[in-house]
Amino acid sequence: MKAPFSPYLDALAPGMKTLTEILGRSFDYVSVLSTDSVGFSVSISQRSKRVSGKNMTTERGNVVRVARNGQYSEYAFNEVPERIEDLAEEIEKDLQRQFDLMALTGTKTYETGILDDEPLQLFVEKETERLPEEEDMKVLVEKLTELSGRGMEIIPRALDCMLNASSTHISKMFISRNRFLRQSYVYTEGSCASYAPSDDGEIKFAHEGVSGCCGPEVLSGLSEVVEKLPKMMEEVLGSEKIVPGEYEIITDPGISGLIAHEAFGHGVEMDMFVKKRALGAEYIGKRVGSDLCTMHEGALCDESVTAYVFDDEGTLAGDVIEIDHGILRTGICDALSALRLGTKPTGNGKRESFSHKAYTRMTNTVFDSGEDTLEEMVKSVKHGYLLSGTQSGMEDPKHWGIQCIIARGYEIKDGEYTGKVVSPVVMTGYVPDLLGGISMASTDRKVDGNGACGKGHKEWVKVADGGPYLKTKARLG
Amino acid sequence: MMLSLIQEKIKALGCEVWELTEKTERGWEFYFIRHELDQNRITDVKTYGVTLYRALPDGFLGSASGEISPGATDQEIEKTVSDIYFQASLVKNPAYRLNDKAVVTPELREVDTAEIAKNFITAMQEVRETRTEDINSYEIFVKEITRHYLNSNGVEYTVRYPSSMIEVVVNARTEDHEIELYRMYRSGTCDQAKLQRDIEKTLKYAKDRLHTEPTPKLGTFDVLFSTDDAVNIYSYFANKTSADMIYRHLSDWTAGKEVAENAGGDRITMKAVSALSNSSADYPIDDEGAAIKDRLLIDQGVTKNNWGHRQFCQYLGMEDSSIVRNIVVEGGSRSEQEVREGDYLEVVEFSDFQVDPMAGNIAGEIRLGYLHQDGKVRIVSGGSVTGQMAEAVPTMEFSKETEQYDSIVIPRVTKLKNLKITGIA
Repeated sequence: MKAPFSPYLDALAPGMKTLTEILGRSFDYVSVLSTDSVGFSVSISQRSKRVSGKNMTTERGNVVRVARNGQYSEYAFNEVPERIEDLAEEIEKDLQRQFDLMALTGTKTYETGILDDEPLQLFVEKETERLPEEEDMKVLVEKLTELSGRGMEIIPRALDCMLNASSTHISKMFISRNRFLRQSYVYTEGSCASYAPSDDGEIKFAHEGVSGCCGPEVLSGLSEVVEKLPKMMEEVLGSEKIVPGEYEIITDPGISGLIAHEAFGHGVEMDMFVKKRALGAEYIGKRVGSDLCTMHEGALCDESVTAYVFDDEGTLAGDVIEIDHGILRTGICDALSALRLGTKPTGNGKRESFSHKAYTRMTNTVFDSGEDTLEEMVKSVKHGYLLSGTQSGMEDPKHWGIQCIIARGYEIKDGEYTGKVVSPVVMTGYVPDLLGGISMASTDRKVDGNGACGKGHKEWVKVADGGPYLKTKARLG
Repeated sequence: MMLSLIQEKIKALGCEVWELTEKTERGWEFYFIRHELDQNRITDVKTYGVTLYRALPDGFLGSASGEISPGATDQEIEKTVSDIYFQASLVKNPAYRLNDKAVVTPELREVDTAEIAKNFITAMQEVRETRTEDINSYEIFVKEITRHYLNSNGVEYTVRYPSSMIEVVVNARTEDHEIELYRMYRSGTCDQAKLQRDIEKTLKYAKDRLHTEPTPKLGTFDVLFSTDDAVNIYSYFANKTSADMIYRHLSDWTAGKEVAENAGGDRITMKAVSALSNSSADYPIDDEGAAIKDRLLIDQGVTKNNWGHRQFCQYLGMEDSSIVRNIVVEGGSRSEQEVREGDYLEVVEFSDFQVDPMAGNIAGEIRLGYLHQDGKVRIVSGGSVTGQMAEAVPTMEFSKETEQYDSIVIPRVTKLKNLKITGIA
């Protein structure tokens, strides 16, 4: 079935078109992004249960973007008065107060040209099997409760077993003088997490998830996820601390994705180029990885949690090859940054919600597959670790440092697993060394969309990342 | 008007236990590249939070929540409320009661977002920069938040408070090399002097960052924390005393529990306070309608009280508690100078310093550190710090002098001993 576009937004469209017309008399550029996204979040554990009609992407509201004399301004609101003229007057009056403050403080404008507004009409309703607003919540809660109970039975020493599920039916509408874009799609994610005390009382954690650009049907995969957790938990409960040092490593698709995201995801967000905050700007056309390193970015790369049709600035989604056989080709770019850099936007202008600013943000960030098997990769390791289980990561686009905190490392010696597991593992290093060291890549590939990404320490958006198993070298501690 | 409408729909369903929160956020935002205005923004967003409860068989309580937009139609409100009420029947939690003690609504504060924004802008314009150390970019967020809460027990209040944030990126450069450092400051309003002082200190760090040598392989070493990264260390203690963590078996820090056995270092004393000047959470009533009182959480290393959401506090038998937003940690027995004696690595810039609130694992990649060893100071970068709070707490030392970081006051310097340093030299 199609995910139906919001009737609320359809009803709102004439008013927002009128708003752009009225503001267009005073400003050089006007656009409106309106959102109406509904969904749910459910959290079931042995200790507490919660159901809500709210999750990180449910929202209803509007943001107006205007430009005059090279100055871009935005006004976000979620109350629409009956008379659109009143709203336009309020927006102009309030923004004028900010312009007055600019004058009072002697603030200069970072002058920017007028955004492209080539005529475009688009109406896309993506496929989904089910809709979150029609989901039988009784069945879902019962299923998650059953899975939580199952987890408690099979996960060793489990203090609790938490099942989380959320799903959002997103509807977004973009209106400017020449554009009228509408899209609706559904994304869903679910996870199972458990924690247990080790022999010395330290709390150990195991988790795994499912996700996709689809309806709540994907949550059926949680049954399989729960069955995976006992082994993971046994491994971390019996884990040791790693001896710090440089090792050969094999990253599983989740950790490959984490590296993709932190290394050349944030590193080539081109709003950072505008601010001269990214070393990547100086490396376009230069080698940053081995020949086996090819990396894509874009909402079109995978049917994941961030597989939209147009971004939050009305730019169509893309699929950019950022690194081609080790050579950095390009970055990703929001519309305003593209204008400032004299390049084309790539469909990566995203907002945390309608009330937040649009920045260049990642969507799907994915390494291409290679030609090796995992068995061959393991056989080739003299002494190192297969790394699995994302905990967190942090980028450093200016200096290309990388920090990844990883749940488990499986020791490999002379091409064989030794059975020893280390946990947690802090992987640090210099990105070109890490990518330049990629010597093998597996034929398979997986994309995971259970995470969220911040810009600095704020502005959280849904992202997905992945790749094949990769072999390289890194410092572990 | 909207609140009355929602209450009517709740009543029509026969729902007798409920909570409503009307939240209005009016924000002014300014984004700068160098000192030129990239973008100015205004936000005016109102939401209505609804939580409905229903008694279930065998002493259980069901609850579910949702949010209503101010533009919702009568039919949409009715459907949302009806869905929430049905969903409440699916969620079986042990019963607990909503707050029922009347609270005194404080006088509504005047929040002048324009004036606060002006103070941030002028403070940034007046930061002393040089040709080689300067400000790359900054983002200013100033909000006036008004929260109107009411529940079915007749508890009702409105609070209004300012909440601000500024994100600052600074650069330092030589002829052929440039580096950056990142800072994020949260506060109620703008403390210009404090902001400028900290940014100017960060500019000095940035200059030093240009002249680092690789961090040596130190094995285990004492690490000194003198920036807001230390907040993560003290948040670990606050989290361990929360009723939520205790009820979930993630902590056993109930009254009487020593936070570290055989502690030979400084013993922590931590208080939750109802008011903290210029905190971004400086309001006297929590999100669930409980008056926030000063409360001793840990006294000289011994847990005295717990805190948390009404639900988990009641499960633990605590009737008189609240959600904690503002915390004060008392200074230790030694001066900053005394804590700084001996060999140690002072890390002032991590990629992302983390203290896992559940496991207590400590981790962070070193971007800038000062290695004090054998009477010399070397500026280092690279490698990582790892450790475990359970192992570090018994010997931790912290200074008499304290420093406020938004909603928490902590010792100015904190030393964790024998952490692992993965060097690169």
